[in-house]
Amino acid sequence: MKHFFFTLVIVTLGSVAMAQSIFPYKYHVETLPNGLKVITIPTESPGLVAYYSIVRTGSRDEVEPGKSGFAHFFEHMMFRGTTKYPGPVYDSLITSIGASANAYTTDDYTAYHLNFAKEDLERVIELESDRFQNLYYEKPEFQTEAGAVYGEYRKSITSPFAVLNEKMQDLAYDVHTYKHTTIGFEADIKAMPEQFEYSKSFFARFYRPENVLLLITGDIDPKATMKLVTNYYSSWRKGYVPPNITPEPPQKAERSAEIAYNGKTLPIIDIAYKGDPFDPTNKDLIAALLLGDLAFGENSDLYKKLVINEQKVQFINPSVPMNRDLPLFEIYSMVKKLDDINYVRDEVYRTLEEFKTKLVDEKKLNDLKRRNKYGFLMGLDTPDNVAGGLARFAAISGGIEVVNQLYKQMESVTPQDILNAAKKYFTPERRTVVVLKGTQS
Amino acid sequence: MKTIVIALTIVLALALPCTTTGEQNVEKNTPVLLPVKNDPTISFRIWFKVGSQNDPPGKEGLAAITASMLTDASTQKNTYAQIIEKLYPLAASYNATTNVEMTVIYGRTHKDNLKEFYSLFGDAILLPAFQQEDLDRIKSQVMNYLENTLRYANDEELGKAVLYNDIYSGTPYGHITAGTIQAVKSITIEDVLDFYKQHYTRGNVVIGLGGGYHKKLLAALQKDLQKLPAGALRSAAKPQPKTINGFNVTIIEKDAPATAISMGFPINVLRGSKGWYALAIANSWLGEHRNSSSHLYQVIREARGLNYGDYSYIEHYPNGGRLQLPPQNVCRRQQIFEIWIRPVPNEARHFALRAALREFKHLVDKGMSKGDFELTKSFLKKYVLHYAPTTMERLGYALDDRYYGIKASHLETYRKMMSTLTLGDVNAAIKKHWHYENMQIAIITKDAMALKEALVKDIPSPITYSTPKPESVMNEDKEISVFPVKVKEEDIKIVPMAELFLR
Repeated sequence: MKHFFFTLVIVTLGSVAMAQSIFPYKYHVETLPNGLKVITIPTESPGLVAYYSIVRTGSRDEVEPGKSGFAHFFEHMMFRGTTKYPGPVYDSLITSIGASANAYTTDDYTAYHLNFAKEDLERVIELESDRFQNLYYEKPEFQTEAGAVYGEYRKSITSPFAVLNEKMQDLAYDVHTYKHTTIGFEADIKAMPEQFEYSKSFFARFYRPENVLLLITGDIDPKATMKLVTNYYSSWRKGYVPPNITPEPPQKAERSAEIAYNGKTLPIIDIAYKGDPFDPTNKDLIAALLLGDLAFGENSDLYKKLVINEQKVQFINPSVPMNRDLPLFEIYSMVKKLDDINYVRDEVYRTLEEFKTKLVDEKKLNDLKRRNKYGFLMGLDTPDNVAGGLARFAAISGGIEVVNQLYKQMESVTPQDILNAAKKYFTPERRTVVVLKGTQS
Repeated sequence: MKTIVIALTIVLALALPCTTTGEQNVEKNTPVLLPVKNDPTISFRIWFKVGSQNDPPGKEGLAAITASMLTDASTQKNTYAQIIEKLYPLAASYNATTNVEMTVIYGRTHKDNLKEFYSLFGDAILLPAFQQEDLDRIKSQVMNYLENTLRYANDEELGKAVLYNDIYSGTPYGHITAGTIQAVKSITIEDVLDFYKQHYTRGNVVIGLGGGYHKKLLAALQKDLQKLPAGALRSAAKPQPKTINGFNVTIIEKDAPATAISMGFPINVLRGSKGWYALAIANSWLGEHRNSSSHLYQVIREARGLNYGDYSYIEHYPNGGRLQLPPQNVCRRQQIFEIWIRPVPNEARHFALRAALREFKHLVDKGMSKGDFELTKSFLKKYVLHYAPTTMERLGYALDDRYYGIKASHLETYRKMMSTLTLGDVNAAIKKHWHYENMQIAIITKDAMALKEALVKDIPSPITYSTPKPESVMNEDKEISVFPVKVKEEDIKIVPMAELFLR
């Protein structure tokens, strides 16, 4: 579900960032000779800076069998230090400057982020440039960290949504790496302690300047910041080796499965359709981003029917993500009674058929565009929100210019475009349906 | 037409002069204001001095449901569906947060959309419709949370809920805010209406307003809230949690893939006092929330890889799994010290419990070292800068300051204290507020009987790892595995999942 909300934020952001009259911040882009792209965005935030290192590698890049979850595991290893600043020293330096530091991994990228006081900018640049170039850890530390990752899996897998998503991805994809979730299959997580040598090759292939972007926002001077970045990162050597990701062949027929959740839950239905990779010039795709919300969002007729009037479901939510490769466009619903699962499924199908044959109300479309505009403006309230909101764009496209294109495209979407998108993507051949039921009642 | 009428009302309202509430406790209920000239948005936090401590017996959950009936339901002017439709293009929303002592109706809008937003927001507070279908929907969500989500989907939150319910059993704090299954089932429209009439009164409300608002908005808000019925603050008695003698353990039997542990005891220190800031330094070192600087994290996760994290608290911190930094408006007169051990493999549960208690005992017995003290002070002085980067969050802290009676801001005091507190202050606070011997413990795990027996007999819990560990860790493990945590048989209760949150 997290994924879904994140997507909405991004859609919102995308919708306005490009209009120069609306986006309040000027940004500066510079690429070092080694390929490291640096985007600086000064914002009104007295004394505070957000610093994002975005590695364009995520669970999508885990092409070798048995290596699912490795990008995420590697994110953990990045906190184990270097020869110059071993893990405990790195930790204590970050602690001493009172930085709020963390990292996360997604299907398409891994982000390392820090918020700190502006006087500590050079210290942060020094520490970050050091660990991205000189990461060093011994085998026992590596193996111990695998235990922490397993702990993360264990604490999450009690959620029915974790069980559901694992099944959906496995079923919907045959060969593409989106077949596994970002945290990975349990068997692979269990075997992680054996992958010490592989981890070194992972670092050598992916943690290279041409595969990384820096997003630095807040109370900064772009020139002075670039000088520091150039000073500390120029020694980083090129060497990115792109993974050989097998494209997913077109799906030819509908797939479905039922899965048991070890515990008690209301049933959940997840209806997914194969979409398109992110491309702001693909009008069908951009229309689909809006269609998800129009058909199944809070303001949709179906939401009002199922959630408010008939009260047959706890919620219904669309998820139309932006990805480097072919994502799933999903509709989730938690149904109150087992007997109503098919009814809810059919209501989703009926709604999609309506969108294929009937033009959407122009006012509703405009309301959504307006919502995106204000959502974007209101979301620019901290350096961290600015950088965090741009991270996925930077990761999947290699820059933030696509935000502008996306916005223009979204503004131009008409009811006919929505209808076209409905017809293109939401077909039975592209569909996978998973129903989750609890083992206890 | 409706929209136009509302807009006109607002224009009139905005033009009206400032009025005062005329209540006896006007001093305490004066607005909390945080104007930010360049902020293109306006943040509202309307605080009602009511919470789950005010739930009538047998109606546990009523305070939270009443608040939801204001923000997630129809008003006398609009159906819930119409409200969603009107808020939708504004990208604005309002919600309620109910805790033990506070209910805050909060919302944020862009200045451009103020008129449209304000009319809906005001109606939510002043003109709730209290319709049966809304109550049915909201109750169904709460029931789903109590019966399914909390019991099965998130063992960490479950452990904390059990801990709080145990510590405060028999007091107004003795049930989680969501309530109990039987009580929620029994809640009627009449209950909601009565609760609203009693607690949503002029004497019980404090306006919180922040961002780029015009003073006329404050005047309008003050005037509008005059439409609430008169009424005085209906306070509840401060809870007197029962004394904990020794280790008291509740084990929730569950077919769980891992074991979640929460433990703690009541403390008598609140933010604003010097002792609290001193204790905050010790607590940050022991278990800063979701931070690798946490000592418990270093011992249990970093050195041994037993779980995802280990933290400690001296203030209530709901939804810790989802938050990186502390929430606002969850104030309490009575707090607990709490240790949170994220799920560990079932075979390591006894060991992890011992490891955490042993570290805590060391801190209580020996105090902080000079080096740790200096590093932690330096950390906190800047780390609190991240606590409230937005106007909405700063406004939340400003309300909290009012609640705790802190004249200077808590966050500023926090930073200042980091320059003035001494190691002696911190170690004195540890001695005064923390003790090791008496602890309430909640454990979510399978094979509860086996754990009970192990605890009663205090049998050693040696640990084996699938991967090699340094000698220093292995040696320390020998001490941890026999560290005494002896629990009397009568102090351990095993509770089946089906009995949790029932009544």
